[in-house]
Order: sequence, then structure tokens, then C-alpha cells
Amino acid sequence: MITFNRSQVIGAEFPDDKTIRFNGTQEDHIYAMEINMDVRIADAEIIAINGVIKRYTNFMCPEAVPVLQTAVGISLREDGWDRRVMREIGRKGCEHFAEIVIECGRCLDQALMSKDLSVALEKDPNLDQEQFIQTWIEEHPDIQLG
Amino acid sequence: MILRFLRNKVVEVEPLSDGNLAVSWRLTDDLLKAEINLKVKPPELEIVEAEASLDRLPPKAWLSAPQLIKKVEGVRVGSGLRKIVRGLLGGPDGCALLIYAVLESSNAVILHYTRPGIAARENLSDEEKMALTKEMLKNNPRLVRSCVAFQDDSPIMQGLDL
Repeated sequence: MITFNRSQVIGAEFPDDKTIRFNGTQEDHIYAMEINMDVRIADAEIIAINGVIKRYTNFMCPEAVPVLQTAVGISLREDGWDRRVMREIGRKGCEHFAEIVIECGRCLDQALMSKDLSVALEKDPNLDQEQFIQTWIEEHPDIQLG
Repeated sequence: MILRFLRNKVVEVEPLSDGNLAVSWRLTDDLLKAEINLKVKPPELEIVEAEASLDRLPPKAWLSAPQLIKKVEGVRVGSGLRKIVRGLLGGPDGCALLIYAVLESSNAVILHYTRPGIAARENLSDEEKMALTKEMLKNNPRLVRSCVAFQDDSPIMQGLDL
């Protein structure tokens, strides 16, 4: 039988042309938490964040919720952004919150690429999708796929 | 507002009848479908088998993932793992997704071992839990300042000189 399972679900919406809004949840046999995070598309900076801690192991764990605010101002394009998130949100707050923020960050370029592909397919349903992806990657050298 | 992008990711640990642990890591989103399977042998927690498959619209640079993942066979889940895995699977010809998958799978193996201890503490009194947590910190000082609960100003740290 399965003795440990962890699921992460990350959704992205575009409330306006300048912002991507992530909702991320992480649920496993031990912990469960959720964050909402707004990112400015132009520079990938986290501009707003909030979170809920739903299942935890220690009475101090909910104290990690306000620590999430230290993510505001971090750019998901700066060198070592994921290590900074783990350092600031994880070690001073909760590593599981940090894991969700990092997974949202890893989805940034996938979500932007997916949106552009979706728009392109509306114009040309016979579009070569593999070629579109390759061209998109070449035209965006600063992306971090993952 | 409806979503424009959705990613689902799951990692599972399953003990096998031969004593090994099977770890299944799977990801699916609008553009990518990935599956990484590891077999981990206790007690050294050596990765004895590793397989990967990528589907849907993966970047061309990642098409070598099924061959690349073989590099972690023989690696042990333990100290220095992050650096070792980044060294083996990273770089210009590497695949970031495989790094994340192997590290998250390894973390799941650790949590597989952690879960019974946490479950055993659930019915203890608050005082007993506090005493046990303090004892754990004394035995594992690397946990000090590793999260909000173990910061210097936390009530848990009171009376501990760590």
C-alpha cells in the first residue's frame, strides 16, 4: 500500500494583462496548506501573497502565515530566487509554504507559454504546436522551465 | 475566473515485497506530462533503478531525460544529495525537471519514515509533546532555526541552549 502521498495543484489565471494569479495547494499525509500569489508579468515580481495552513504538526506552525509576506518583492527571475524563497519563507516560516511558492514560480513560464499557445491555436487550429513551443523558448531566453 | 493553466503533481511511496521502496513522481499540466519512477533500497537508501518519460510538449532540450535519469542510479538519499543530483542532472545538457523530481521523490522517502513517528505522538498531552520536541531538537541540532517553530524566540526553544 502507499505509505506516503503528496499532491500539489497549481492553477494560474490572468486577472489583467499585467498580472498572473496563482493558487497553489499542497496536501500530503502529514501537512496541508494553500497560497494565493499575484505576480507582475513584466519583471516576475511577487506583488501580493496570502496563505492558509490547514494541517500541521506543531502548535507554532500557524505563526508561519505572516512570514509569507516576506515573499513580496522577490522576483521569480532573479538568480537563486528559489533558494531565497526557501531561506526567507522556509527556514523562517514553513518549508511547505516555501515549496508551494516555488512550485508556483516554476509554473510561471509554463503558464505564459500555455496562454500564448492557446491564443495562437484560436487563430490557427492546425498550428505546429511543437514548433511553436520551440520558437517561444528561443524567443524568451530568460525563462526557467520546470 | 476560469484558469488558463493547471498543473497537478503527485509523488507516492510504496514499500515493495522485496524490501525496496517504489517512488512514483508524476506531473501533468497543459503542456507537459512527466513520469519518474525510482526504486530505493534501504537501509542505505540507494537509488537502484531510475526511469523517466516525458510526453505532450516537452522542450527539445529535455528529450534525453530517459537516458539522463540513469545517472542517479547508485546515488544514496542522504547528506549532499542536492549537490550531487544538481551535478548529475543539471548544466546546459541537463534537465531541471528531473532534478526537481529526484529531490522531491527523495524527500517523500524521508517523509515515509517520518510519518509513523508523527502519528505516534498525536495522542500525547501538550506537555508530553513539548518535552519530546525539545528532546528531538537536542538530538538533531540542525533543526534549530529551520522553521518558525524552532526560532530562538519560540516557546519551544525556551530552556534550550542550542
